[in-house]
Amino acid sequence: MNLRDLRLRLRALVAPRQAERDLDDELAFHIERQTRKYIDEGIDPIEARRRALAQFGSVPLAADQCRDARGTSFIDDLVRDVTYACRGFRRAPFSALAIVLTIAVGLGLVACVFTLYDASFLGNAIAHPAELFVVRRPPTPGAKVWMPFTEPQYEALRRDTHVFSGVLAETGGTVDARINGRTATCRLVTGNYFQVLGVRPALGRGLTVDDDQATGGSVIVLSDRGWRRLFAGDAAIVGRTSVVNGAHYAVVGVMPVDFRGFDSVDCWAPLSLLGKFSRAGADGENAPIDPSVRLEVVGRLAPGVSREVATAALTAWVVDDPDIAPWRDAPKSISLTSIADASRVMSALSGLLLFVPLFFAFGLVLVIGCANVANLLLARGVARQHEIGIRLSLGASRRRVIRQLLTESLLLALAAAVGGFIVSRAILVGAVQLLATTLPPDVADEFALAAPAVDWRVVVFMMSGAIVSTVLFGFGPALRATRPDLTRTTRGDTTTDLRPARARNALIVVQVAASALLLVTSLVFLRSALAAGAADPGIRTSDTLMASIADESRRADVVRAAVADPTVAGMAASWPDALHSMAPVGLGLPASTTGQPASDADGGTGRAGDARAVELVTYKFASPEYFALLDIDVLKGRTFTPQEHTLDARVAVVSDSTARRLWPRGDAVGQVTHIEITISGSGPEAHPRSVDGDFTIVGVVRDVGASFAPIVSMQHGIDLFEIPGPAVYLPVGLDTAGTSLTMRVRGDPEQAREHLTRALTEIDPTMGRIETTKAMARMQAYALWIAFWTTMLLGALALGLAASGLVGVLSYVVAQRKREIGVRKALGATTADVVWLVLKQSSRPVMMGLVIGGGLAVTLARLLMTTPLAAISAPLGAAPMQLNDIVHVFDPVAYVASLLCIVAACLPAALVPALRAARVDPLQSLREE
Amino acid sequence: MPRPSKPDLLPGTLHLLILRVLQTAPLHGWAISERIQEISQDVLEVNQGSLYPALHRLEHQGWIDAEWAVSELGRRAKYYQLTAAGRRQLAVEAREWDRMSAAIARVMKLA
Repeated sequence: MNLRDLRLRLRALVAPRQAERDLDDELAFHIERQTRKYIDEGIDPIEARRRALAQFGSVPLAADQCRDARGTSFIDDLVRDVTYACRGFRRAPFSALAIVLTIAVGLGLVACVFTLYDASFLGNAIAHPAELFVVRRPPTPGAKVWMPFTEPQYEALRRDTHVFSGVLAETGGTVDARINGRTATCRLVTGNYFQVLGVRPALGRGLTVDDDQATGGSVIVLSDRGWRRLFAGDAAIVGRTSVVNGAHYAVVGVMPVDFRGFDSVDCWAPLSLLGKFSRAGADGENAPIDPSVRLEVVGRLAPGVSREVATAALTAWVVDDPDIAPWRDAPKSISLTSIADASRVMSALSGLLLFVPLFFAFGLVLVIGCANVANLLLARGVARQHEIGIRLSLGASRRRVIRQLLTESLLLALAAAVGGFIVSRAILVGAVQLLATTLPPDVADEFALAAPAVDWRVVVFMMSGAIVSTVLFGFGPALRATRPDLTRTTRGDTTTDLRPARARNALIVVQVAASALLLVTSLVFLRSALAAGAADPGIRTSDTLMASIADESRRADVVRAAVADPTVAGMAASWPDALHSMAPVGLGLPASTTGQPASDADGGTGRAGDARAVELVTYKFASPEYFALLDIDVLKGRTFTPQEHTLDARVAVVSDSTARRLWPRGDAVGQVTHIEITISGSGPEAHPRSVDGDFTIVGVVRDVGASFAPIVSMQHGIDLFEIPGPAVYLPVGLDTAGTSLTMRVRGDPEQAREHLTRALTEIDPTMGRIETTKAMARMQAYALWIAFWTTMLLGALALGLAASGLVGVLSYVVAQRKREIGVRKALGATTADVVWLVLKQSSRPVMMGLVIGGGLAVTLARLLMTTPLAAISAPLGAAPMQLNDIVHVFDPVAYVASLLCIVAACLPAALVPALRAARVDPLQSLREE
Repeated sequence: MPRPSKPDLLPGTLHLLILRVLQTAPLHGWAISERIQEISQDVLEVNQGSLYPALHRLEHQGWIDAEWAVSELGRRAKYYQLTAAGRRQLAVEAREWDRMSAAIARVMKLA
């Protein structure tokens, strides 16, 4: 085929009428010219025309031969196949619709998972993330805390070393802020932050080095999340001024959505603003940076510098430079951790590993759907054997017929791809809405839930998914249909070939096995969720409510009104909230065995040469009322007195297990220990960001049971963390900003909740929802409920598809064996005999499917234990969670129940065609011979 | 048709003749058949039913090119002309024809 040929064919294709007119004109011209010649020879015009026509012969025939002259091409065949297929669909619209819908649902489900995966892991706005390394100082022997950098150290690193092409610093923790009255998390960063990361802003600009000067303006840059959450994605936000912590800041830019690894905050501000930023309400001068502020340092390796070379150079720098003052007795070495290893950025591959279970579960439904469609097409293929036989005997090549059948499948798959796209969008949008309404509002708000956008990768995925499923369900039947014996099929005798039975049985086995797998999984989740929901959170939940203050300026009014309310029997404040569900915590607690105040000036966490080991424990700020209100028994000593409602009281309460671990001799009460909070996340605002000082243990209280918290994030899907109960309690008061309130109420807690919501919202319209502690405790099993409902719906869908597939196959078999059944009945077979005959046909593959599905579930459960899902990296202070602790993967009840469920669904599915078979009238079926 | 029967063209020669006739100037279909008839002194008569399919086939092969132009009758007609590829093909086929006819002539003369 050459270019000219293609052009001519395309023309005939695109403008068929024009091509036809040209052909007619050309032939007509010939006849006219011949007529003219005869006229010129002196023949009468009418006779001349008659002769010319006669000489030419049949014009339509010549035209036809001209068309044939082109020969047939790929395009012509395609057009023909498509037209033929469409005619076929019009003849049997329901089976075409069934195929499209089945695949659309399957493909849509898989596309949902892919869209999520794509939005979470594919593409990163950071340029060459592999060149980026977190610079850290290894911990002192005995201590577990990595040593952060201080500002002067960072400056020295930037000034004196040359292994990085750029090096940035950011505050180690996030800084809480109130932007236009709403809570937000921010990170203060150096002016070169976005340049070093190589991120182009989605709107406006990033920060510049000039912004990060003492003379720089008050500016912030929003993350995509912050932009959507706080400003509803306002496209005209750049240049606008907003109030951050009471001061005015100009929004200069918005970062893109795929700025992965560094954008877990709502906004960024220049590091030089730190003093002003964290000092609420001051619009004054930029304060100098506190030299003890801890910074995380990330560098981009200069071209040609390897990680080893850089590590060596930096270590040499640390050893040589005596001026880097605050190093003191920390080990003189530097370690470089790639941002992937530092868990900042998850690679697409490890993300995929996380998504494998999802892809697998959702993909199973697609596979089952494909099996159904293959079945349908197989049956149709046999039904069409007559037609195909005729085409073959008329000289169509087998290849040609297969191509025609494949074209049909491809057309269906493309329609299904469009349908699948719609399905996936509907599911995602629906799921996000469902999450938004069922998640606690502050959690939903935190993640600014939104259905991820569609990009080209999703479209490519849908198309290739459609094509792969075409091959899956189209090719087998296409091959089989063209295999018939010509002489038999043209006679109309299509029923004796029983070989397809094997293929169909295999399909049933696959379907049943897949449904079994999904149902087992779903019931395992259900049982685990029920078990987790029933677990005792260790605090009084029967009549307590939880509330948080949104607007701190109205805190006093809200607290006063609540205390005065007749339904409220008592009130306590704490941070994190009473269920400590969403707050990973870390604390340095050097175990002081001497009873002496930890020594003087060098108040850091565990230094070399210091005999004390640093313990990382969980902590909670709690007001004096907290313990009695939530029934946390005092085992030894006392809890906080009403006067001890600030950190200045220098007292602490520890949990029973902590006391026993740190002071095995049972003399915990009275000990003075050094407590230092090394990770300052969000916390009570009125408190210093880091607790650092000596505290006297005044009491030991009962352990509050460990709980696990689901953490739903776009980055990591659903993670489960075990949050141990608090080990150390530090005092706060009801008036401490940032703390959550817990109330004990009189009467029905649900009614009290509604009453208080009304009453308190009047005082503070921005007041968040008040929830009963019981409901919030149930929320802890939220992730399991999501998993349960997801797999349940998938399992139900799978089972429905499998059952309908079974009906289809058996109906077909019955139709095929009608004659034989008629003979049997004529020979005296009873209805029961016939029903049993058909049931027997289906029982073998179903049983095999059950065994395989159950076996697969066990195998996969074992496998799952080795994936990242099982060993979730827990936040500091929380114990790494073993999946097995939460999800009882080998729960026999779940297995038996789901297998019974499948048998229960398959039995009626098999009975319908069996009873139809039993009704076969022997006389009629024999007459059909 | 009560016309004196003319010998059929040798198979495969129609292409050669069309290419050869078009070598000098672009012509429309009727002119091509007239030309062949004229030069062969009415010995070779092109069957109209096979002329046009042949022209279309050659066009698809890229050996001739077609263009609509106003004819001597004052209405539009489709004029064919040789392409560069057609010229090369003509050379090949002409050489082949010479070889074949010379061979046949030798056999006729000497056998």
